[in-house]
Amino acid sequence: MLKLLGAVLVVLAGTLAGFTRAAQYADRPRNIRGLIAALQRLETEILYGYTPLPEALRRIGQQSKGPLQDFFTAAAQEMSPPLDHSAEEAFRRAMELHFRSAALKGAEREILRQLSCTLGTSDRSNQSTHIALALQQLKQEETAAREDQGKYEKMSKSLGLLLGVLIVILIF
Amino acid sequence: MANDWLFLFPEKVRALLSGLPAHLLARLEEVRVRERRPLEINYSGKYHFLCENGSLTQLPAEAYKPSREDTHRLLDLISNHSLYTMEEELRKGFITIPGGHRIGLSGRTVLSGGGVEHLRDITGFNVRIARELPGIADSVLPYLVERGRQRIMHTLILSPPQHGKTTLLRDLARQISAGSEAGRDGGRPGLKVGIVDERSEIAGSRRGIPAFDVGPRTDILDGCPKAEGMMMMIRSLSPEVLIADEIGRHEDAEAVTEALHAGISVVATAHGKEVAELARRPGLGGLLEHRMFERYVILHRTGAGLTFRILDGQKRGLLLITPEEQQGGERRA
Repeated sequence: MLKLLGAVLVVLAGTLAGFTRAAQYADRPRNIRGLIAALQRLETEILYGYTPLPEALRRIGQQSKGPLQDFFTAAAQEMSPPLDHSAEEAFRRAMELHFRSAALKGAEREILRQLSCTLGTSDRSNQSTHIALALQQLKQEETAAREDQGKYEKMSKSLGLLLGVLIVILIF
Repeated sequence: MANDWLFLFPEKVRALLSGLPAHLLARLEEVRVRERRPLEINYSGKYHFLCENGSLTQLPAEAYKPSREDTHRLLDLISNHSLYTMEEELRKGFITIPGGHRIGLSGRTVLSGGGVEHLRDITGFNVRIARELPGIADSVLPYLVERGRQRIMHTLILSPPQHGKTTLLRDLARQISAGSEAGRDGGRPGLKVGIVDERSEIAGSRRGIPAFDVGPRTDILDGCPKAEGMMMMIRSLSPEVLIADEIGRHEDAEAVTEALHAGISVVATAHGKEVAELARRPGLGGLLEHRMFERYVILHRTGAGLTFRILDGQKRGLLLITPEEQQGGERRA
Protein backbone atom coordinates (compact mmCIF):
# COMPACT_ATOMS: atom_id res chain seq x y z
CA MET A 1 0.00 0.00 0.00
CA LEU A 2 2.74 2.37 1.03
CA LYS A 3 4.71 1.36 -2.05
CA LEU A 4 1.78 2.17 -4.25
CA LEU A 5 1.43 5.59 -2.69
CA GLY A 6 5.14 6.24 -3.25
CA ALA A 7 4.86 5.15 -6.86
CA VAL A 8 1.92 7.49 -7.44
CA LEU A 9 3.88 10.35 -5.85
CA VAL A 10 6.90 9.72 -8.05
CA VAL A 11 4.80 9.64 -11.21
CA LEU A 12 2.95 12.76 -10.10
CA ALA A 13 6.20 14.59 -9.44
CA GLY A 14 7.57 13.58 -12.83
CA THR A 15 4.41 14.80 -14.56
CA LEU A 16 4.47 18.09 -12.68
CA ALA A 17 8.11 18.66 -13.60
CA GLY A 18 7.25 17.98 -17.23
CA PHE A 19 4.35 20.44 -17.16
CA THR A 20 6.46 23.17 -15.57
CA ARG A 21 9.07 22.71 -18.24
CA ALA A 22 6.36 22.81 -20.92
CA ALA A 23 4.91 26.00 -19.40
CA GLN A 24 8.32 27.63 -19.69
CA TYR A 25 8.42 26.74 -23.37
CA ALA A 26 4.96 28.27 -23.76
CA ASP A 27 5.72 31.40 -21.70
CA ARG A 28 8.90 32.36 -23.43
CA PRO A 29 7.41 33.37 -26.81
CA ARG A 30 4.65 35.21 -24.97
CA ASN A 31 7.10 37.16 -22.84
CA ILE A 32 9.27 37.97 -25.85
CA ARG A 33 6.14 39.16 -27.66
CA GLY A 34 5.38 41.39 -24.66
CA LEU A 35 8.92 42.70 -24.65
CA ILE A 36 8.69 43.52 -28.35
CA ALA A 37 5.46 45.44 -27.79
CA ALA A 38 7.03 47.27 -24.86
CA LEU A 39 10.09 48.31 -26.86
CA GLN A 40 7.88 49.51 -29.69
CA ARG A 41 6.02 51.69 -27.22
CA LEU A 42 9.34 52.93 -25.86
CA GLU A 43 10.36 53.89 -29.37
CA THR A 44 7.17 55.89 -29.80
CA GLU A 45 7.66 57.61 -26.45
CA ILE A 46 11.19 58.59 -27.44
CA LEU A 47 10.54 59.53 -31.06
CA TYR A 48 7.27 61.38 -30.79
CA GLY A 49 6.66 62.02 -27.12
CA TYR A 50 10.12 63.28 -26.10
CA THR A 51 9.31 61.55 -22.83
CA PRO A 52 12.24 61.29 -20.41
CA LEU A 53 13.35 57.70 -19.93
CA PRO A 54 12.23 57.15 -16.30
CA GLU A 55 8.76 58.44 -17.11
CA ALA A 56 8.56 56.39 -20.33
CA LEU A 57 9.60 53.19 -18.55
CA ARG A 58 7.06 53.80 -15.81
CA ARG A 59 4.27 54.17 -18.34
CA ILE A 60 5.33 51.04 -20.18
CA GLY A 61 5.44 49.18 -16.89
CA GLN A 62 1.85 50.17 -16.22
CA GLN A 63 0.77 48.89 -19.61
CA SER A 64 2.67 45.59 -19.45
CA LYS A 65 1.78 42.42 -17.63
CA GLY A 66 3.47 39.87 -15.38
CA PRO A 67 7.25 39.91 -15.01
CA LEU A 68 7.60 42.68 -17.60
CA GLN A 69 5.50 45.01 -15.50
CA ASP A 70 7.73 44.37 -12.49
CA PHE A 71 10.83 44.76 -14.62
CA PHE A 72 9.96 48.10 -16.20
CA THR A 73 8.54 49.58 -13.02
CA ALA A 74 11.69 48.58 -11.12
CA ALA A 75 13.93 50.02 -13.85
CA ALA A 76 12.00 53.30 -13.76
CA GLN A 77 12.37 53.44 -10.00
CA GLU A 78 16.11 52.78 -10.20
CA MET A 79 16.49 55.69 -12.59
CA SER A 80 14.47 58.19 -10.56
CA PRO A 81 15.84 60.16 -7.63
CA PRO A 82 17.15 59.43 -5.07
CA LEU A 83 18.89 56.43 -6.72
CA ASP A 84 19.36 58.09 -10.11
CA HIS A 85 21.21 55.16 -11.67
CA SER A 86 22.13 55.19 -15.33
CA ALA A 87 19.98 53.20 -17.74
CA GLU A 88 22.60 50.48 -17.95
CA GLU A 89 22.80 50.07 -14.19
CA ALA A 90 19.05 50.28 -13.72
CA PHE A 91 18.36 47.60 -16.33
CA ARG A 92 21.00 45.32 -14.86
CA ARG A 93 19.55 45.57 -11.38
CA ALA A 94 15.96 45.22 -12.55
CA MET A 95 16.84 42.14 -14.59
CA GLU A 96 18.56 40.54 -11.62
CA LEU A 97 15.47 41.13 -9.52
CA HIS A 98 12.69 40.19 -11.87
CA PHE A 99 13.98 38.02 -14.69
CA ARG A 100 14.99 35.13 -12.50
CA SER A 101 11.57 33.57 -12.46
CA ALA A 102 10.52 34.68 -15.90
CA ALA A 103 10.88 32.33 -18.80
CA LEU A 104 13.39 34.61 -20.42
CA LYS A 105 16.72 33.27 -21.50
CA GLY A 106 20.21 34.65 -21.66
CA ALA A 107 19.65 35.84 -25.22
CA GLU A 108 16.91 38.31 -24.28
CA ARG A 109 18.90 39.57 -21.32
CA GLU A 110 21.89 40.14 -23.54
CA ILE A 111 19.77 42.07 -26.05
CA LEU A 112 18.34 44.24 -23.28
CA ARG A 113 21.76 44.77 -21.76
CA GLN A 114 23.19 45.94 -25.06
CA LEU A 115 20.24 48.25 -25.58
CA SER A 116 20.52 49.69 -22.09
CA CYS A 117 24.10 50.81 -22.77
CA THR A 118 22.93 53.21 -25.46
CA LEU A 119 19.49 54.06 -24.11
CA GLY A 120 19.16 57.76 -23.40
CA THR A 121 22.70 58.61 -24.42
CA SER A 122 22.16 59.85 -27.97
CA ASP A 123 19.75 61.73 -30.20
CA ARG A 124 16.38 60.43 -31.28
CA SER A 125 17.32 58.94 -34.63
CA ASN A 126 20.19 57.06 -33.02
CA GLN A 127 17.93 55.78 -30.25
CA SER A 128 15.48 54.62 -32.86
CA THR A 129 18.21 52.69 -34.70
CA HIS A 130 19.29 50.91 -31.54
CA ILE A 131 15.74 50.02 -30.55
CA ALA A 132 15.04 48.77 -34.08
CA LEU A 133 18.12 46.55 -33.85
CA ALA A 134 16.98 45.16 -30.51
CA LEU A 135 13.51 44.57 -31.92
CA GLN A 136 14.92 42.68 -34.86
CA GLN A 137 17.00 40.47 -32.60
CA LEU A 138 14.04 39.86 -30.33
CA LYS A 139 11.89 38.85 -33.29
CA GLN A 140 14.48 36.25 -34.25
CA GLU A 141 14.47 34.99 -30.70
CA GLU A 142 10.71 34.86 -30.80
CA THR A 143 10.72 32.70 -33.93
CA ALA A 144 13.27 30.40 -32.37
CA ALA A 145 11.25 30.27 -29.16
CA ARG A 146 8.11 29.37 -31.06
CA GLU A 147 9.93 26.57 -32.86
CA ASP A 148 11.18 25.30 -29.53
CA GLN A 149 7.69 25.50 -28.17
CA GLY A 150 6.32 23.41 -31.06
CA LYS A 151 9.10 20.88 -30.69
CA TYR A 152 9.44 20.55 -26.96
CA GLU A 153 6.23 21.63 -25.25
CA LYS A 154 4.27 18.42 -25.81
CA MET A 155 7.39 16.32 -25.52
CA SER A 156 8.23 17.80 -22.12
CA LYS A 157 4.82 16.92 -20.82
CA SER A 158 4.97 13.27 -21.91
CA LEU A 159 8.65 13.02 -21.02
CA GLY A 160 7.89 14.08 -17.45
CA LEU A 161 5.22 11.43 -17.10
CA LEU A 162 7.37 8.75 -18.70
CA LEU A 163 10.34 9.63 -16.55
CA GLY A 164 8.19 9.25 -13.48
CA VAL A 165 7.03 5.86 -14.69
CA LEU A 166 10.60 4.84 -15.53
CA ILE A 167 11.77 5.64 -12.03
CA VAL A 168 8.88 3.63 -10.57
CA ILE A 169 9.72 0.66 -12.76
CA LEU A 170 13.39 0.88 -11.90
CA ILE A 171 12.71 1.02 -8.18
CA PHE A 172 10.33 -1.91 -8.16
CA MET B 1 16.51 73.30 -1.36
CA ALA B 2 19.18 75.98 -1.21
CA ASN B 3 21.80 73.80 -2.83
CA ASP B 4 19.56 71.65 -4.99
CA TRP B 5 22.06 71.93 -7.80
CA LEU B 6 24.47 69.69 -5.90
CA PHE B 7 22.39 66.68 -6.83
CA LEU B 8 23.18 66.94 -10.47
CA PHE B 9 26.84 66.13 -9.94
CA PRO B 10 28.19 62.58 -9.92
CA GLU B 11 28.88 61.20 -6.45
CA LYS B 12 32.61 61.90 -6.44
CA VAL B 13 32.32 65.55 -7.48
CA ARG B 14 29.29 66.06 -5.28
CA ALA B 15 31.23 64.86 -2.25
CA LEU B 16 34.06 67.27 -3.04
CA LEU B 17 31.68 70.21 -3.49
CA SER B 18 29.60 69.53 -0.40
CA GLY B 19 32.85 69.46 1.56
CA LEU B 20 33.39 73.14 0.83
CA PRO B 21 32.74 75.63 3.63
CA ALA B 22 29.15 76.85 3.73
CA HIS B 23 29.94 80.54 3.16
CA LEU B 24 31.87 79.61 0.04
CA LEU B 25 29.14 77.31 -1.19
CA ALA B 26 26.65 80.11 -0.82
CA ARG B 27 28.69 82.37 -3.08
CA LEU B 28 29.63 79.77 -5.67
CA GLU B 29 28.90 80.98 -9.18
CA GLU B 30 30.35 78.46 -11.54
CA VAL B 31 31.55 74.90 -11.40
CA ARG B 32 33.53 73.89 -14.43
CA VAL B 33 34.03 70.23 -15.16
CA ARG B 34 36.40 69.29 -17.93
CA GLU B 35 37.26 65.69 -18.57
CA ARG B 36 40.76 64.78 -17.36
CA ARG B 37 41.50 68.41 -16.56
CA PRO B 38 41.35 70.17 -13.21
CA LEU B 39 37.99 70.70 -11.57
CA GLU B 40 37.46 74.45 -11.31
CA ILE B 41 35.15 76.55 -9.20
CA ASN B 42 34.46 80.27 -9.44
CA TYR B 43 33.16 82.53 -6.75
CA SER B 44 33.22 86.30 -6.27
CA GLY B 45 34.96 86.63 -9.61
CA LYS B 46 37.95 84.48 -8.63
CA TYR B 47 38.84 81.00 -9.76
CA HIS B 48 40.21 78.04 -7.84
CA PHE B 49 40.94 74.42 -8.54
CA LEU B 50 39.59 71.79 -6.22
CA CYS B 51 41.89 69.09 -4.84
CA GLU B 52 40.91 65.52 -4.13
CA ASN B 53 41.18 66.15 -0.38
CA GLY B 54 38.71 69.04 -0.64
CA SER B 55 41.14 71.95 -0.37
CA LEU B 56 41.48 74.79 -2.86
CA THR B 57 44.56 75.40 -4.94
CA GLN B 58 45.85 77.54 -7.78
CA LEU B 59 48.05 74.76 -9.10
CA PRO B 60 46.40 72.73 -11.85
CA ALA B 61 48.68 69.75 -11.21
CA GLU B 62 47.35 69.19 -7.68
CA ALA B 63 43.70 69.41 -8.57
CA TYR B 64 41.19 66.62 -8.91
CA LYS B 65 40.70 65.64 -12.53
CA PRO B 66 37.23 64.32 -13.35
CA SER B 67 37.36 60.98 -15.13
CA ARG B 68 35.46 59.93 -18.21
CA GLU B 69 33.04 58.15 -15.94
CA ASP B 70 32.39 61.38 -14.04
CA THR B 71 31.53 63.35 -17.16
CA HIS B 72 29.34 60.57 -18.54
CA ARG B 73 27.47 60.38 -15.28
CA LEU B 74 27.11 64.16 -15.15
CA LEU B 75 25.65 64.26 -18.65
CA ASP B 76 23.33 61.40 -17.77
CA LEU B 77 22.11 63.20 -14.67
CA ILE B 78 21.58 66.63 -16.20
CA SER B 79 19.69 65.12 -19.12
CA ASN B 80 17.51 63.02 -16.79
CA HIS B 81 18.98 59.91 -18.48
CA SER B 82 17.36 61.04 -21.71
CA LEU B 83 19.69 62.94 -23.99
CA TYR B 84 17.21 62.64 -26.83
CA THR B 85 14.90 65.13 -25.12
CA MET B 86 17.70 67.72 -25.31
CA GLU B 87 18.36 67.86 -29.05
CA GLU B 88 17.42 71.50 -29.40
CA GLU B 89 19.46 72.39 -26.32
CA LEU B 90 22.48 70.52 -27.64
CA ARG B 91 22.26 72.46 -30.85
CA LYS B 92 22.38 75.68 -28.87
CA GLY B 93 25.11 74.41 -26.59
CA PHE B 94 23.49 74.68 -23.21
CA ILE B 95 20.94 72.98 -21.01
CA THR B 96 18.87 74.73 -18.39
CA ILE B 97 17.87 72.44 -15.58
CA PRO B 98 14.97 72.87 -13.17
CA GLY B 99 15.88 75.65 -10.79
CA GLY B 100 17.15 77.92 -13.55
CA HIS B 101 20.75 76.73 -13.43
CA ARG B 102 22.35 76.86 -16.83
CA ILE B 103 24.90 74.34 -17.98
CA GLY B 104 27.06 75.29 -20.93
CA LEU B 105 28.45 72.37 -22.89
CA SER B 106 31.48 71.82 -25.04
CA GLY B 107 32.37 68.87 -27.15
CA ARG B 108 32.60 67.97 -30.77
CA THR B 109 29.99 69.46 -33.04
CA VAL B 110 28.29 67.49 -35.77
CA LEU B 111 27.48 69.64 -38.77
CA SER B 112 24.68 69.28 -41.22
CA GLY B 113 24.30 71.61 -44.17
CA GLY B 114 26.80 74.00 -42.63
CA GLY B 115 24.84 74.43 -39.39
CA VAL B 116 25.48 72.82 -36.04
CA GLU B 117 23.19 69.85 -35.82
CA HIS B 118 24.32 68.11 -32.73
CA LEU B 119 26.95 68.05 -30.05
CA ARG B 120 28.68 64.80 -29.25
CA ASP B 121 31.63 63.66 -27.17
CA ILE B 122 30.57 66.20 -24.59
CA THR B 123 33.46 66.61 -22.19
CA GLY B 124 33.23 70.18 -20.91
CA PHE B 125 30.56 71.50 -18.57
CA ASN B 126 30.10 74.93 -17.13
CA VAL B 127 27.48 74.85 -14.42
CA ARG B 128 26.26 78.35 -13.67
CA ILE B 129 24.38 78.48 -10.44
CA ALA B 130 21.36 80.73 -10.53
CA ARG B 131 20.69 82.71 -7.38
CA GLU B 132 17.82 84.76 -6.24
CA LEU B 133 18.91 88.04 -4.70
CA PRO B 134 15.73 89.81 -3.64
CA GLY B 135 16.44 93.49 -3.21
CA ILE B 136 19.30 93.75 -5.67
CA ALA B 137 17.17 96.05 -7.82
CA ASP B 138 16.14 98.28 -4.89
CA SER B 139 18.55 101.06 -5.71
CA VAL B 140 17.96 101.00 -9.46
CA LEU B 141 14.21 100.72 -9.76
CA PRO B 142 13.28 104.26 -8.59
CA TYR B 143 15.21 105.66 -11.56
CA LEU B 144 13.33 103.51 -14.03
CA VAL B 145 9.88 104.66 -12.97
CA GLU B 146 8.53 107.66 -14.81
CA ARG B 147 7.48 110.24 -12.33
CA GLY B 148 3.76 110.79 -11.98
CA ARG B 149 2.75 108.42 -14.68
CA GLN B 150 3.14 105.02 -12.98
CA ARG B 151 5.01 103.71 -15.95
CA ILE B 152 8.28 101.87 -16.29
CA MET B 153 10.63 103.43 -18.80
CA HIS B 154 12.11 101.44 -21.67
CA THR B 155 15.32 100.14 -20.21
CA LEU B 156 18.33 98.30 -21.52
CA ILE B 157 20.62 96.62 -19.02
CA LEU B 158 24.19 96.18 -20.17
CA SER B 159 27.07 94.19 -18.83
CA PRO B 160 29.62 91.58 -19.83
CA PRO B 161 28.67 87.98 -19.00
CA GLN B 162 28.77 86.91 -15.34
CA HIS B 163 28.06 90.32 -13.87
CA GLY B 164 24.54 89.65 -12.71
CA LYS B 165 22.26 90.84 -15.50
CA THR B 166 19.79 88.01 -15.15
CA THR B 167 19.70 88.26 -11.38
CA LEU B 168 18.93 91.98 -11.63
CA LEU B 169 16.29 91.36 -14.27
CA ARG B 170 14.63 88.73 -12.11
CA ASP B 171 14.40 91.07 -9.16
CA LEU B 172 13.14 93.90 -11.37
CA ALA B 173 10.37 91.62 -12.62
CA ARG B 174 9.45 90.73 -9.07
CA GLN B 175 9.35 94.32 -7.84
CA ILE B 176 7.58 95.77 -10.86
CA SER B 177 4.99 93.01 -10.71
CA ALA B 178 4.43 93.33 -6.98
CA GLY B 179 4.40 97.13 -6.87
CA SER B 180 5.30 98.81 -3.64
CA GLU B 181 3.38 99.92 -0.63
CA ALA B 182 2.58 103.56 -0.14
CA GLY B 183 5.19 105.42 1.84
CA ARG B 184 8.47 104.36 0.25
CA ASP B 185 8.52 105.85 -3.18
CA GLY B 186 5.00 107.15 -2.92
CA GLY B 187 3.45 103.79 -3.58
CA ARG B 188 3.38 102.13 -6.95
CA PRO B 189 0.70 99.70 -8.08
CA GLY B 190 1.84 96.35 -9.42
CA LEU B 191 1.98 96.09 -13.18
CA LYS B 192 1.27 93.19 -15.51
CA VAL B 193 4.64 91.76 -16.39
CA GLY B 194 5.36 89.40 -19.26
CA ILE B 195 8.64 87.49 -19.27
CA VAL B 196 9.88 85.87 -22.45
CA ASP B 197 12.22 83.35 -20.92
CA GLU B 198 13.99 81.78 -23.87
CA ARG B 199 16.58 79.97 -21.79
CA SER B 200 14.42 79.32 -18.73
CA GLU B 201 16.89 81.34 -16.73
CA ILE B 202 14.90 84.30 -15.46
CA ALA B 203 12.11 82.33 -13.85
CA GLY B 204 13.73 78.89 -13.81
CA SER B 205 10.39 77.33 -14.62
CA ARG B 206 9.74 73.71 -13.86
CA ARG B 207 6.74 72.37 -15.76
CA GLY B 208 5.58 75.90 -16.40
CA ILE B 209 5.73 77.03 -12.78
CA PRO B 210 8.49 79.50 -11.91
CA ALA B 211 11.04 78.28 -9.37
CA PHE B 212 12.00 81.86 -8.52
CA ASP B 213 9.78 84.57 -7.17
CA VAL B 214 9.08 86.76 -10.18
CA GLY B 215 6.07 88.53 -8.73
CA PRO B 216 2.33 87.92 -8.44
CA ARG B 217 1.28 89.58 -11.70
CA THR B 218 3.83 87.95 -13.95
CA ASP B 219 3.25 85.69 -16.95
CA ILE B 220 6.07 83.62 -18.33
CA LEU B 221 6.53 82.17 -21.78
CA ASP B 222 9.03 79.47 -21.00
CA GLY B 223 11.59 78.33 -23.56
CA CYS B 224 10.11 80.57 -26.23
CA PRO B 225 12.28 82.30 -28.83
CA LYS B 226 12.43 85.97 -27.85
CA ALA B 227 11.21 87.64 -31.02
CA GLU B 228 8.27 85.29 -31.44
CA GLY B 229 7.56 85.29 -27.73
CA MET B 230 7.40 89.06 -27.50
CA MET B 231 4.88 89.15 -30.34
CA MET B 232 2.83 86.41 -28.72
CA MET B 233 2.86 88.32 -25.45
CA ILE B 234 1.72 91.53 -27.08
CA ARG B 235 -1.10 89.81 -28.93
CA SER B 236 -2.46 87.60 -26.22
CA LEU B 237 -1.31 88.44 -22.71
CA SER B 238 -1.56 92.24 -22.69
CA PRO B 239 1.50 92.92 -20.56
CA GLU B 240 2.31 96.42 -19.36
CA VAL B 241 5.98 95.59 -19.00
CA LEU B 242 7.79 93.13 -21.23
CA ILE B 243 10.96 91.52 -19.98
CA ALA B 244 13.49 89.65 -22.11
CA ASP B 245 17.02 88.49 -21.58
CA GLU B 246 19.94 88.98 -23.95
CA ILE B 247 18.48 90.57 -27.02
CA GLY B 248 20.83 91.00 -29.94
CA ARG B 249 19.52 89.68 -33.21
CA HIS B 250 17.60 91.54 -35.88
CA GLU B 251 14.31 89.82 -35.08
CA ASP B 252 14.68 90.74 -31.42
CA ALA B 253 15.17 94.39 -32.31
CA GLU B 254 12.08 94.32 -34.53
CA ALA B 255 9.97 92.77 -31.80
CA VAL B 256 11.22 95.35 -29.28
CA THR B 257 10.30 98.15 -31.69
CA GLU B 258 6.86 96.62 -32.10
CA ALA B 259 6.38 96.47 -28.35
CA LEU B 260 7.54 100.05 -27.86
CA HIS B 261 5.06 101.27 -30.43
CA ALA B 262 2.32 99.25 -28.80
CA GLY B 263 2.84 101.29 -25.64
CA ILE B 264 4.41 98.49 -23.69
CA SER B 265 7.46 99.17 -21.56
CA VAL B 266 10.38 96.97 -22.41
CA VAL B 267 13.10 95.96 -19.98
CA ALA B 268 15.80 93.96 -21.72
CA THR B 269 19.42 93.01 -21.28
CA ALA B 270 22.31 92.78 -23.71
CA HIS B 271 25.95 91.83 -23.57
CA GLY B 272 28.27 94.80 -23.69
CA LYS B 273 30.31 97.24 -21.68
CA GLU B 274 29.38 100.58 -23.13
CA VAL B 275 26.40 102.01 -24.93
CA ALA B 276 28.65 103.24 -27.73
CA GLU B 277 29.84 99.68 -28.38
CA LEU B 278 26.30 98.57 -28.80
CA ALA B 279 25.56 101.05 -31.56
CA ARG B 280 27.96 99.21 -33.80
CA ARG B 281 26.20 95.88 -33.37
CA PRO B 282 24.00 95.08 -36.36
CA GLY B 283 20.88 94.06 -34.48
CA LEU B 284 20.78 96.68 -31.77
CA GLY B 285 22.30 99.62 -33.63
CA GLY B 286 18.95 100.65 -35.09
CA LEU B 287 17.27 100.65 -31.70
CA LEU B 288 19.89 102.98 -30.31
CA GLU B 289 19.85 105.23 -33.33
CA HIS B 290 16.14 105.82 -32.97
CA ARG B 291 16.57 106.40 -29.25
CA MET B 292 14.15 103.69 -28.37
CA PHE B 293 15.42 103.21 -24.87
CA GLU B 294 14.92 105.84 -22.19
CA ARG B 295 17.28 104.37 -19.64
CA TYR B 296 20.49 102.39 -19.81
CA VAL B 297 21.78 100.56 -16.77
CA ILE B 298 25.39 99.43 -16.97
CA LEU B 299 26.45 96.81 -14.50
CA HIS B 300 29.92 96.29 -13.30
CA ARG B 301 30.93 93.88 -10.63
CA THR B 302 34.02 94.24 -8.51
CA GLY B 303 35.17 92.34 -5.47
CA ALA B 304 33.19 94.71 -3.27
CA GLY B 305 29.89 94.26 -5.06
CA LEU B 306 27.83 95.62 -7.90
CA THR B 307 28.17 99.07 -9.38
CA PHE B 308 25.27 100.46 -11.40
CA ARG B 309 25.68 103.27 -13.87
CA ILE B 310 22.41 104.72 -15.05
CA LEU B 311 22.24 106.70 -18.29
CA ASP B 312 19.26 108.50 -19.79
CA GLY B 313 17.96 108.18 -23.33
CA GLN B 314 20.53 110.63 -24.70
CA LYS B 315 23.24 108.48 -23.17
CA ARG B 316 24.03 111.15 -20.60
CA GLY B 317 25.13 109.83 -17.28
CA LEU B 318 22.52 110.31 -14.59
CA LEU B 319 23.88 108.48 -11.64
CA LEU B 320 26.47 106.11 -10.30
CA ILE B 321 25.50 103.74 -7.54
CA THR B 322 28.39 102.07 -5.76
CA PRO B 323 28.23 99.04 -3.49
CA GLU B 324 28.60 101.19 -0.35
CA GLU B 325 25.56 103.26 -1.23
CA GLN B 326 23.53 100.12 -1.79
CA GLN B 327 24.36 98.90 1.66
CA GLY B 328 23.26 102.27 2.95
CA GLY B 329 20.05 101.83 1.03
CA GLU B 330 19.47 98.50 2.61
CA ARG B 331 19.85 100.01 6.03
CA ARG B 332 17.27 102.61 5.20
CA ALA B 333 14.87 99.92 4.05
